[in-house]
Amino acid sequence: MKYDQFKEGSRSAIPIVLGFIPVGIAFGVLAIKSGLTAYEAIAMSLIVYAGASQFIVVDMLAAGAAFLPIILTTFLVNLRHFLMSSTVSSYFKQKSLFETAAIAAELTDESFSVAMADPVKIIGRPSFLFGLQVTSQLAWISGTALGAVFGPLLDSSSYGIPFALPALFICLLVLQLKNMRHVLVMLVAGVLSVIFKNLLPGNWNLVIAALMASGAGIWLARNETDEVNQVEGVGPG
Amino acid sequence: MRLSILLLIFGMAAVTFLPRFIPLALFTRWSLPEGVRRALHFMPTAIMAAIVFPVLFSSPEGNIIFEPRLVLAAVPVFIFSVRVKNLWGAVVLGMIVYWALGFFLR
Repeated sequence: MKYDQFKEGSRSAIPIVLGFIPVGIAFGVLAIKSGLTAYEAIAMSLIVYAGASQFIVVDMLAAGAAFLPIILTTFLVNLRHFLMSSTVSSYFKQKSLFETAAIAAELTDESFSVAMADPVKIIGRPSFLFGLQVTSQLAWISGTALGAVFGPLLDSSSYGIPFALPALFICLLVLQLKNMRHVLVMLVAGVLSVIFKNLLPGNWNLVIAALMASGAGIWLARNETDEVNQVEGVGPG
Repeated sequence: MRLSILLLIFGMAAVTFLPRFIPLALFTRWSLPEGVRRALHFMPTAIMAAIVFPVLFSSPEGNIIFEPRLVLAAVPVFIFSVRVKNLWGAVVLGMIVYWALGFFLR
């Protein structure tokens, strides 16, 4: 573990922290309402750490769902991380299994997106990525604890709080738009995702839209070998 | 802490961990086939767009919606992000605009 890199990663997590604390509070409040205790809610944020599926799970618990359907739903909602993990893998070479597991366990939509805003910073620097991820999770756990303990006193749906994470993702998406092909990929993925969300359960819309739009991007760039080879410019990590 | 809930949490953790872990464990050891590598080039853009658009244009149940407060808050954040490219600023601006729009809309 390299502490200067860890600290740098930690600092780059600040925009995520800004979004995770209020959303974590909202989760804590709902978890208590669904019948979980404060410790159980905090344990879920600590051990599972998957925002979207945690919200769905407390919803299902409140409705009295059995455990097996809950676990299956969690799996389907989190399958999208398969794509993110594959993408992140191209920036690392042969880490120890422990290091790989630590990075994998902490991979979320938000930390992935921040890392991809400037992937040069993570090439061969797992400590940077880990700092970014751990800081994000600490915010998530703190938010959960605040919501679970002080829930009735806090109202996380007021002010501009519901728009914190959408704004973060909009900015992260803009940072990805390097040329016209990326803009087209964005439009294809966005429109397909909205359409498939209307048709399919779980988070299948994310997986299908991301795969199809990536395919469209590769097709658009089929004559531009330079662009799609960028990912390969990765040194030994 | 009830044992049943703890088991549920570990079950959820296992199925969440595997899709996050398997690609990283495999592809940091054996490189991806050339075709797959190429396909990953547009993946960040595609995933983020697939996350953002439903936030703005889908109801939680999946219906296609148009909610002026969300869309009107997204526009300045988008323009600010293109010009300034600052995450912090985008988050704060988005929260302020969304909050302010709440006085006029819904």
